[in-house]
Amino acid sequence: MPVIEVDRLSKTFRSRVKPRGFVAGIRAVAKPETRIVDAVRAVSFSVEEAEAVAFLGPNGAGKSTTIKMLTGILSPSSGSARVLGLDPSKRGGRERNALARSIGAVFGQKSQLWFHLPPADSFRLLGAVYEIDRKALAARSGELVERFGMAELMDVPVRRLSLGQRIRCEIAASLLHSPRVLFLDEPTIGLDVVVKREIRLLLEELVKRDRVTIFLTSHDIGDIEKICKRAIIIHHGEVVVDESMKDLKHRALAKKYVGVKYAHPVDIDLPGLSPVKRTEDAARFEVDTRRHRLPELIAALAARGELLDLTVEDEPLENIIAEIFGSRSAAEASAVTAAARDARVEEEDAPVAGTDADGRGEP
Amino acid sequence: MSRAAAVVRKYATTSAVSLRNRTAYFSNYFGSLVTYGLFVFVFSRVWTAAFAGKAVIAGYTREAAIWYFIVAELAAFGFGRFYWGLSRDMKSGQVAYLLIRPYGFVAYHFFERMGPALVDTIVLAAEGFALGTLFAGPPPVANSLAAIAVVASLLLAGSLQYFLQMTIAMTAFWLEENAAFFWIYQKLSLVVGTLVPLEFLPDTARKVASWTPFAYLAYPPARIFVAWDPRDAASLLLSQAAWVLGAALLAKAVFLLGSRSVSVNGG
Repeated sequence: MPVIEVDRLSKTFRSRVKPRGFVAGIRAVAKPETRIVDAVRAVSFSVEEAEAVAFLGPNGAGKSTTIKMLTGILSPSSGSARVLGLDPSKRGGRERNALARSIGAVFGQKSQLWFHLPPADSFRLLGAVYEIDRKALAARSGELVERFGMAELMDVPVRRLSLGQRIRCEIAASLLHSPRVLFLDEPTIGLDVVVKREIRLLLEELVKRDRVTIFLTSHDIGDIEKICKRAIIIHHGEVVVDESMKDLKHRALAKKYVGVKYAHPVDIDLPGLSPVKRTEDAARFEVDTRRHRLPELIAALAARGELLDLTVEDEPLENIIAEIFGSRSAAEASAVTAAARDARVEEEDAPVAGTDADGRGEP
Repeated sequence: MSRAAAVVRKYATTSAVSLRNRTAYFSNYFGSLVTYGLFVFVFSRVWTAAFAGKAVIAGYTREAAIWYFIVAELAAFGFGRFYWGLSRDMKSGQVAYLLIRPYGFVAYHFFERMGPALVDTIVLAAEGFALGTLFAGPPPVANSLAAIAVVASLLLAGSLQYFLQMTIAMTAFWLEENAAFFWIYQKLSLVVGTLVPLEFLPDTARKVASWTPFAYLAYPPARIFVAWDPRDAASLLLSQAAWVLGAALLAKAVFLLGSRSVSVNGG
């Protein structure tokens, strides 16, 4: 049974347009002009238990709005969402409390820790808020302190912690009540590479060991690649991609980078394929696998001379996502991914540079 | 642990942690102590000038008027600034964390704000009593029952202040800017019963004021303090309790309506 089920979820914001000029200002008192923003448009997806899903999109795509609807902060304008079988839009009552006890959230740009007090005080308060028995709270805090390496930090006022230390405490605080679903909105924003890696390892472990479902928004490709097995890309309020990271990374744009280095200078020119970089004994090719078969290309390159090194790299995930983000509309973004899907089919029959239609290599 | 005990622990810990945060720096109290002391000093001079040649005005002696002001300002200073913190949380988006916890939103903030406010009030009361004794002689507390009634009335005044200010702060669920409402609230609560006793107002104004919650903020504790009468005190306390109940229900209703209209878009 899915842990998160979202069906045609939409959110529309109505905001007042600030009038320009005195007369327009007076007129706006009687007849205010409003602007309607469709932040999220009929989004549908589901997430299974212990799945780590990256929810991606450019700024203003509707990521945070969706997370806020799933956590019950915002009410949807239409459609429905269920988290652990509960309706987050319910206000007050048992269902609301049951949901609050089962989910955790980290908003990277906000803090749930008391700024002038040590994290230990915030943990004590959160333990009381979630009605965790004192003994159970002590045990859970101890476990998290050990896992997150926070023993030295628990008695230091939060204002004196580094950003990385604070984020570790924030994530640990959101796990005190052992939530089954953890929503993370830009958890590694502003962190250095070492701390990012620590946080990613901790989150990976949460999924594997504790079977926590993670729903993550991030602009950091590293977060997405390391933690998540699936990506949902939202653009202009609509879901334009929902597939495994593997598919997204390896097949979306069907582009590979092939690098070769020879022991001696050789003629590297291949018919129909120009290198993007070249020296007399090395070259780097951008290969459209819709047009060229990779095995035959490699064979053709190997036939040119004594190889010292050969590398095949995928299109960086960042480029793939940037291309989708760069689309001006949701329809265009969908077209980009649809084209990529078609490319996978075409890839099966494509000829390769340096080969003829039968796949034979040139001498 | 029983459910009731868990709920008591939840809100008691909320007050305790919030209080610990407030007392992290003693310098936090410096500003209020100076301002409150200055107000008391200025009004002791004002009343001394106003009572020159008069023993009694509207039933108050000079000493009673000064003590009235000291206690009335306690209710205004100690409990009068909830709005700013609440409003800041609403507008900064911090409300995101606050809305996803298993507690009563209005109740949680009540205990979070009330713990530090009580300590603020106690600290200011110590200063007020020292200055009052200096400017107007010993405090006119009739007996221990009167003292208990004053404390109860101050607590009710603080509660009423909280629920009204919370209601104003929660208009941020709909409005981008709501400080004007608080400004009006603040001015009305100053004029009605804080700066001067209600008895100093013209009859019609007093009657109108008695139908508003402003007459039950600073006036009851100060009036009970300077003119102890068990019947009047009971009547004032009952009226305050009724207003507290009404304001609490209003705050809860505004939360239920407003939290459906939260419109914080973007990260």
